[in-house]
Amino acid sequence: MSTAVTSEPVLTAQHLSLAFGGLKAVADFSLTLRAGALAGLIGPNGAGKTTIFNLLTGVYQPDQGEIFLGKQRLNGLKPSARAKAGMARTFQNIRLFGELSVLDNVRTACGVRAKSGLVGALLRTPGWRAEERAITERSMDLLQTLGIAGRAHEQAKSLPYGDQRRLEIARALATEPKVLLLDEPVAGMNTQEKHAMRSMIQQIRVDFEVAVLLIEHDMGLVMEICDHITVLDHGTTIAAGVAADIQNDPAVIEAYLGAPDDAASEGADGVA
Amino acid sequence: MTIFLQTFVNALALGSLYGLIALGYTLVYGVLRFINFAHSDIFMIGAWISFTFTGWLGWSTGAPAYALPVILVLAMGFCALLAVAIEQIAYKPLRKAPRLNVLITAIGVSLFLQNTGVLKQVFGTQPQRMPSLVNDHVMFTLAGVGVQFVDVLVVLLAGALMLLLQWMVFRTRLGRAMRAVSFDERTASLMGINVNQVISITFGIGSALAAAAGLLYALKYGSLKQSADATWVLLGLKAFVAAVIGGIGNVRGAVAGGVLIGFLEMYGAAYLSPHLKDVYVFVVLIGVLLVKPSGLFGKAVVEKV
Amino acid sequence: MKTLAERTAAQRPNVALTALLSLAPLAVGVIAAFLLQAVLAPAVGPFYAKLVLDVGIAILLSVSLNIVNGFAGQFSLGHGGFMLVGGYTAAYLTYYGSIALWGTAEIHGGFMEGGDIFFMVACVVGGIVAALAGLLVGLPSLRLRGDYLAIVTLGFGEIMRVVIQRTGDVLPVAEAKQKGMLGSLTNVGGSLGFTDVPQYVSPTPWLEKTGHAGIFFTYIFVAICVVVAFRLKASSNGRALLAVRENEVAAEAMGVVTARAKVTAFVMAAFFAGIAGGLFGHQSTLSPSELGFQKSIDIVIMVVLGGMGSISGAVLAAIVLTLLPEALRNFSQYRMIIYALSLIAIMIARPQGLFGTKEIWETTWWRRLFGRRTKAEAP
Repeated sequence: MSTAVTSEPVLTAQHLSLAFGGLKAVADFSLTLRAGALAGLIGPNGAGKTTIFNLLTGVYQPDQGEIFLGKQRLNGLKPSARAKAGMARTFQNIRLFGELSVLDNVRTACGVRAKSGLVGALLRTPGWRAEERAITERSMDLLQTLGIAGRAHEQAKSLPYGDQRRLEIARALATEPKVLLLDEPVAGMNTQEKHAMRSMIQQIRVDFEVAVLLIEHDMGLVMEICDHITVLDHGTTIAAGVAADIQNDPAVIEAYLGAPDDAASEGADGVA
Repeated sequence: MTIFLQTFVNALALGSLYGLIALGYTLVYGVLRFINFAHSDIFMIGAWISFTFTGWLGWSTGAPAYALPVILVLAMGFCALLAVAIEQIAYKPLRKAPRLNVLITAIGVSLFLQNTGVLKQVFGTQPQRMPSLVNDHVMFTLAGVGVQFVDVLVVLLAGALMLLLQWMVFRTRLGRAMRAVSFDERTASLMGINVNQVISITFGIGSALAAAAGLLYALKYGSLKQSADATWVLLGLKAFVAAVIGGIGNVRGAVAGGVLIGFLEMYGAAYLSPHLKDVYVFVVLIGVLLVKPSGLFGKAVVEKV
Repeated sequence: MKTLAERTAAQRPNVALTALLSLAPLAVGVIAAFLLQAVLAPAVGPFYAKLVLDVGIAILLSVSLNIVNGFAGQFSLGHGGFMLVGGYTAAYLTYYGSIALWGTAEIHGGFMEGGDIFFMVACVVGGIVAALAGLLVGLPSLRLRGDYLAIVTLGFGEIMRVVIQRTGDVLPVAEAKQKGMLGSLTNVGGSLGFTDVPQYVSPTPWLEKTGHAGIFFTYIFVAICVVVAFRLKASSNGRALLAVRENEVAAEAMGVVTARAKVTAFVMAAFFAGIAGGLFGHQSTLSPSELGFQKSIDIVIMVVLGGMGSISGAVLAAIVLTLLPEALRNFSQYRMIIYALSLIAIMIARPQGLFGTKEIWETTWWRRLFGRRTKAEAP
C-alpha cells in the first residue's frame, strides 16, 4: 500500500500541546507526513482529533510545539495563509457556502491560487478573463472527479448529505494543497457510498500528489487504506504505527473497549 | 467644586436610567443572543404611556400621593405585555434564523413602534410636558448644591429595581431557569425548563424595567419629544453602549456600565464640551470593543469549529 | 490534474474583444445617462425629473451598501455617515474651490466645461475620503461581528453628524477669498447645513446657465457602481466576500483572507456612498440632520427588501422605495409603518430578502415567465 511514499516529509508537527483553561485538549502530539502518504488519526469521541486539525490549519494556535509544511514554519500563521502554503481541510460538521452554487463553492477555493487582483476583475483585463476561465474549467474538472458535476448549478445547501461531503473534498482540492486533512469523510454514508469514497480517497492521493491525513470513526476503512495510524485518547498519543500493530496494541483496545481486567474499579476511575 | 458636585448628582441620576435600560438589553441578550434594537422604543413608550395614563386618571394638574406607584405599575405592566406580544409575533418565528435576520426584524419592530407612536390616534406628533407626579423640591443642600427630590427618587427607585432584579436572577427558580437558558438553551429544555416561557418572561421583565426608566426620565426631564424623534434612539443606544461596556449578558456589568456612561457623559459635558456629549460615549464604545470586545466585565466566547 | 497557473497560461483571450467587452457596459451606461437627461427629463418635467434624480442616488446607495451587507454579510448601519463624509468633502471642494478658482461660488461654465468637470472630480474626491473613513470603520469589523459591528458603524455615523454640527457658518465669498481654502476648513455650516453649494445636481432643464445636467452626472456614477458591483460579484474577490458571509471559518480555511475581504467591502461601499453624498449635497442645502441614523436605516431597508446579495434586487428596491412614497403621498403617515411591517414580514417569510443572492433573471419565476432555458440550467 505504501508504494507512493517517498522520503521527503511534507508535514511535520512536533510536540504540539494545547489546553483550554485547565483542560489538556492535546498533549505532546507529533506527526510526520511524507509526500503521498495516507495516514489515519483515530480515537474515541473527545480524544482531540478535530482539535489537532484545528491546530494544523491555524484555527487554534498551540501552547507549545511547532508545525512545518515542507520547510515553512506555520506557527502564528492564520488559516488563510496556511491554505496558501498548501494546507487544505474538510469539516466534520459540514461547512459549505450554502447559498452559493456547487460550482461557486469550488471556484471560491480556486481563488487562493488566483494571481489577478481586484483591479483586473473590475476592468476585466485579458489576464483576468483567462484566469477566470481557467478557474471555471478546473472547478468543473474537480466536480467531475468527485462525481458531482451534474449538480454544479444547484445550491450547495440543497445537495444530499453524501454529495455535500464530496463537495467539501472538491473544494479543499481546489486550493491545490500539498496536505489534505479529511475530517470524517464517510460519516453518515451507507456501505456502498463508503466504498466509493474509499477508492476516491486513494485515487485523489495519487492523482493530486497530496499527502492525506484522515480522521475517521469507521475503523475498517482506516485499517484498510492508511499506511500509518495514530491513536489518540484524552489528547495523548497512545499508539502509532501500521494497521496490524495498532489492532493488537493493548492500550488501543483499552481505550476503545475499556480495560478488560478492572471491571470492579470502573465506578472509581472509569469516568471519561 | 459646586460644578463637580452638581454634575455628580446629575450623572448618578442619568447613569441609573442608563443602567435600568441596559438591563433590558443584557437580559434579552442573555437568553436570545441578539441585540433587541427595539428596546429603546419600549423605553420611549414607557415614558409616553406614563404621560397618557396620567392624563386618563385626571392627574395632569394635581396628583395624589399614590399617583407615582400607580403609574409606575401601570406603565411597567403595559410595556411588559407589549414586549411579550412583540416577542411572540416577531421574534419567536425566527428562533432558528441567522442572527442578522433577527437584528433586522428588531429594527423593523423599532420603526413600527416609533411610527405608530406619531399617529394622532396614539401619541401624536406634538411634544408634551410630563405633569409632575411628585412634589419636587430641594431636599437638602450639600456644599452649596441643592439636591432635588426627583434626582433622589430616580436613583433610589432605579437602585431598588436593580436590587430586585439581582435577587430574582440569582435567588429564585425563575432566575435559575433564565440563567440555565442563557447558558445552554438545549440542555435547559432537556432539563424540563419551558424555554419559550422563560424567554417571554425575560422580555417582559426587561421591558418593565425600561418602562420604569421611561417614567423616571419623564419625571426628571419633563419634556417628551415625539416618538419618532432621534432623542429616544440615542438614549437607548447609549444604554446599549452601557450594556456592551459592562459585558453584554452580564447583569451587574450593565448597571456598572450604565453608571459609567452617565458619568462619562455628564463630566464630559461639564468639563470638556457640552456639544460633544454624544461623541464621548461612542468613542469609548469603539475603544472598549477594539481592546476587549467582550466588554469590561464579559467573558470571551470561542467559536466552536 | 493541471494546476490553475498551467490552465491560465493555456488560455488565449482575444485582446481586442476583451477590451470591447470590458468597455461596452460603461458605454451603454453613459449613453443611457445621456438619454435620461436629454430625452426623459424634459419630457416629464422638473417634478418627475427630480424623482429620476432621487432614484439614481438611491440606486447608488443601495447597490453599494449591498456590497457590505449583502455580499460580505457585515451588517453596516453607517452608510448615512459615509454619505455625510463624502457629501461634505465634495461640497467643501466645490464651494471654496470655486471661490478660489473663479472667485464665485456659482456654477461655472456650460455643460461638461470646467465647472462640471471640477464638480465630478470633487465627488470622486468625496468618495475617496469616504473610502478612507470606510477603512477606518472596516478595521473594527475584523474583531467584531453582527450586532456589535452594526453599533460601531452607527456610532461612527453619529460621531460624524455631531462633529459636522459643531462646525462654523459657511463663509461668504469675500471672507472665503481672504481666508483661503485651508482657513475655511471648519466653516461648513454646522447644524444649519452647508448653504449656497453650487447646484450642479439640479433636475431643471440642462444646457442652461442656471441648472446643470444632474441626472447625467448621477447616472454616470450609477452605471460605474452597478458595473463594478456585477464584476465584483462574478470574480474571485466577490466570491471571497460571499464566502465570508456564508461561513467565515470555512472561507478562511479555503485561503480567503477574511480580514482583507471585509475591509475591501467596506472601502468599496463607502467610496460609492461618498459619491452619492457628493451628488446629494449639490442639490440644495446639505444638512447633517438629513444624513443620520434614519438615512442609514432607509438604505438598509432597500438592501434587505431587494435581497442580500442581489444587485438587480437592490436596484429594483431602490426604485420602488423611492417612488412609493410619492404614490402613497396621501398615506404618508402610514408609510413607515408599512415599511416596518414589510421588513418584519420579509425576515420571517423570506429571510434572504425577496431575491436572495440571485439576480432577478436567475429566479424561478422569471424563468417561468420568460421561458428561455439558460445554458446553466441544462443537465
